[in-house]
Amino acid sequence: MTLELSCDALELAHPVEGVGPLSFHLPPGSAMVVLGRNGTGKSTLLRTLAGLDLPKRGAVTLGSQPVAKMPPRRRAAHLAFVSSTPPRGAALTVREVIELALEAGGHPTTRAHVEAALDQGGIASWADKSIDTLSDGMAQKVMLARAATQADSVVLLDEPTAFLDVVGRREVMSAVGSWRDQGKSVVLATHDLDAVEEAGWANRWMVMRAPAQGGSIIMESPFTSAAAKQLLTS
Amino acid sequence: MNARWSNLVLGGAMVLLFVAGLFSGPAHLAWSEEWGALSGEGSPTAVTIMWQLRLPRLMTAVLSGASLGLAGLLMQTYFRNPLAGPSVLGVTSGATLGVALVALGGATLGWIPHALNMAPQVMGALLGSGAVMVLLGLVMGQFRSRTALLIFGLMVGYLAGALVTVLQAGAEAGALQAFVHWGMGSFAQGGWVPCAMMAGALVVAVWWVHRTASRLDMWTMGALTARTMGVDERHLSWGALGTAGVLAGLVTAWCGPIAFLGLATPHLVRAAGAPRRHAGLLWPVLLTGATLALFADGVVRWCGVPLNAVLSLVGAPVVLMLIIGKGRWSTSKAKGA
Repeated sequence: MTLELSCDALELAHPVEGVGPLSFHLPPGSAMVVLGRNGTGKSTLLRTLAGLDLPKRGAVTLGSQPVAKMPPRRRAAHLAFVSSTPPRGAALTVREVIELALEAGGHPTTRAHVEAALDQGGIASWADKSIDTLSDGMAQKVMLARAATQADSVVLLDEPTAFLDVVGRREVMSAVGSWRDQGKSVVLATHDLDAVEEAGWANRWMVMRAPAQGGSIIMESPFTSAAAKQLLTS
Repeated sequence: MNARWSNLVLGGAMVLLFVAGLFSGPAHLAWSEEWGALSGEGSPTAVTIMWQLRLPRLMTAVLSGASLGLAGLLMQTYFRNPLAGPSVLGVTSGATLGVALVALGGATLGWIPHALNMAPQVMGALLGSGAVMVLLGLVMGQFRSRTALLIFGLMVGYLAGALVTVLQAGAEAGALQAFVHWGMGSFAQGGWVPCAMMAGALVVAVWWVHRTASRLDMWTMGALTARTMGVDERHLSWGALGTAGVLAGLVTAWCGPIAFLGLATPHLVRAAGAPRRHAGLLWPVLLTGATLALFADGVVRWCGVPLNAVLSLVGAPVVLMLIIGKGRWSTSKAKGA
């Protein structure tokens, strides 16, 4: 069952107090881009949306339940998060990561399900390699496949293209578009305005700014790089 | 070699070492006498040697090795640090201080009339490790990172070490000698009651690790990723630290501060090509820890070298190989690390 992510008068807590109140609603298949200069609270917003950090005020709900109060396993079945850097030091193969993602999402972990998820993520050819031996870009692709395999409703991406080359960035943007087509909602924090514009799937976007700069703005219109740059620098 | 065969080979090696230990010793009993004594027949001396000395000692070695190996695996997984071992929490230091207070402080202050009495020593170790566990529980919520927790263990170690030094400086020669002897480690001081307590703790620990194996696998990808995969951080922290602390505390109480087994066992298991996921690692770690402990105990009995010296001679090269050879462990770039 696909759940909707909503924010109601959300104010972020430490370390970026003063951001908000933010209110928005992400119906299934939404794609929201979060922009902002360094230190404006993009990562804190994503962590709060993921239920990892508590807000100062307001609420984040997934379906009808506050996300921070959901049992962790139930939340994991609906919502996944990918950070900017892939994990290092984990002695797991790509196949084992996908097995764990299926388990986290409450899905069957049969060989057929694992193979299907590997194929869907475009990572089947590395299935038996340790993620520790993959390049940052390849490992990040595994983490994206992990998130898509795990959650059926919302995927939160915190600057996932930060360490990727041009081809890697395109692949991430393409993957986000395909998730959206599957009915998943995506929230992507990024500095990569041109790649987002080229991908063309963002149907709402948020520019996070300090209160002194006029506060954060949420735009419910197709994304354009020029308009975003103007808001970021104003 | 697949996992099942590896476990069979390890189990076979453990049984061989156990049997070799059971039918050898300084008493030079005949085979028939030893067999008879095992079924309770024959001379009372032979029965006592088999049932009160050799069997409890070997069982203590098996349970201690398995417990420390599992505690080491949990610590290395929890801290995502290959050099973490059961001693990093300060539990071993607390136990050592507890024993020093009873053995050295008691003797100096006249609380205990004789140099080193076994029951107070064990009580001291249990109270010492228990006090560190309680302290850890009280302050753990204040730590913002696992590095802070590692520093806590290190500081407890320094504090305990300083207090032990003060106690040693004022101790009587006999008490000091007995304390130093305890510090060398031995499986010979066990008995059926300690074995029962260690076995009980180990059964609960194995059950918990088996039940939590997938969550522990997720944790190796970093706390942030694990939390978003449904891992309850508080539950996993308490489970891993509590389990490792209790296992290490019980072993230290009866066998002294055993070096290297906890640190080296998980690495030896991984180097031998064991599965990467915890469900597959569990049995190889238990069997390897137990086999290493039996092997070290055999060397102790044959050569008369202290247990910790034997274990360090095996463990130190492993740690050196890790530092020199395994650069991949140092690349913990993940945000949630």
